[in-house]
Amino acid sequence: MTVMQQTGGGGGSGDLYEILDLILDKGLVIDVFARVSLVGIELLTVDVRIVVASVDTYLRFAEACNRLDLAASGGAGLPDLLDSGMEKGSRSKSKGALTGAAEAISESFSKGRDEDRDEEKQPAHARRRTSSKRKEEKE
Amino acid sequence: MSTYVYGFVHDDGSLDEMELSGVGEDAPPVRFVRAHGIAAAVSDAPQGLRAKRRDLAAHQEVLQRLARNHGVLPMRFGAVSEDDDTVAAELGRFADHYSTLLDRLEDRVEFNVKASHVEEAALRTVLGEDEGLRSRNEALRKAGGGTPAERMAFGEQVAQALEELKQRDSGAVVEPLAEHAERTAQGPLVDGCLANVSFLVHRDRAEEFLGEAERLRREFDAYMEVRVNGPLPPYSFVTSPQ
Repeated sequence: MTVMQQTGGGGGSGDLYEILDLILDKGLVIDVFARVSLVGIELLTVDVRIVVASVDTYLRFAEACNRLDLAASGGAGLPDLLDSGMEKGSRSKSKGALTGAAEAISESFSKGRDEDRDEEKQPAHARRRTSSKRKEEKE
Repeated sequence: MSTYVYGFVHDDGSLDEMELSGVGEDAPPVRFVRAHGIAAAVSDAPQGLRAKRRDLAAHQEVLQRLARNHGVLPMRFGAVSEDDDTVAAELGRFADHYSTLLDRLEDRVEFNVKASHVEEAALRTVLGEDEGLRSRNEALRKAGGGTPAERMAFGEQVAQALEELKQRDSGAVVEPLAEHAERTAQGPLVDGCLANVSFLVHRDRAEEFLGEAERLRREFDAYMEVRVNGPLPPYSFVTSPQ
C-alpha cells in the first residue's frame, strides 16, 4: 500500500495531484504581481476538515469498527502493532474513509474548473484507482 | 499584454536553448526577462487564465525542467505581472535577496513526503489501545449497530482517537528523513495525511534520502502509506523579500 514516486523525467501530470498543495500554497508570492483567481481551489484544505468532521465520516468509522474482527488477528493485543512489524492480515486494500475524503476533494478539484475541456475531465480518483491497481500487481 | 511568471534563476547562456512551453491553450513559448544577473522565466499570459489541470501541469513542468540544471526560485501558481518591465523592476529592486536565495538553494531539491494511515490498521490500533472504545464497539455490535445517535457519538470518538494517532505517528516518518535533509517545512493540511512535510535535500544526498524513505516505506507497510514526490523545485523553501 505504498508508492514511491519520482517526479523527475517528464514531470508528467501523473504526479500532479500529489503536489497540488505545493504548487498552489507554496512558492514565491510577490505583491506587485496579481494572482489568478483560484475559485474553487482555495477551499482545498478547508474541504478536508469538513469532510473528515462530517456525520457521514463518523458513521463510517463506527460501521468500520463494528465490522472489524478483532479476534481474527490477535484480539486485543494490538497496541504493539507498530512494534510487531504490522499485522499481515490486513490485506484489504479497500478504500477507507480517510482516502475517501481525499477523493471527495480530488473530485471537487476536477469539477471546480474543468467544465469546459475534455482533456481535463479525467478525475483524479480514476488515476488513483489505476495506481492502486498497479500497486496490487506489484505485490 | 500581461506577463505570466514561473520563477527566477541565475542568468546564464544556456537558458534560451531550453524551448519550454508555458500555460495557456496554445502553450506559448517561455522566454526570459533579465536584470541584475537574474532571469525570470515568463510567457505571455493567456486571457482568462484559471487553475486548470493543463496549466498547473505546464507551470510545474517549466519549473521542473529549469530545476534540472539550475537553482530556481519557483513562483506559486498564477503570478501575473502587468508587463515585462514590471518583472525586470522587481528583479532590480530585490536583486540581493533573490541572488542570495538562489545561491543558498543551488544544488538543493525538495522532496515532499505525504504519509497516511491504512484505515483498517489504524482502527485496529485505536481499538486495541483503548479499552473504553473497544467495549463500546462491542456493545454497539451486539445491539445490531445501535441507534444512529449512538453510532455517531461512537464514530466521533473514533475520529478523535485517529487524530491523536496521526499526531503520534508523524514523528516516526519525519524524524528519520530529517536526518538526511538540510531543512524541513510543514505542508498544508490535506488528504487526511498524518504527515505532509517537505525536505530540502542536497543533490548529493538525494539517493541517500530516497533510500531512507524506501526503508520507512517497507517498515510501515500495511500500517501506513508513505508517498514521496521529488526531486522538485524548492516550492517550500523560498521566501519573499522584506
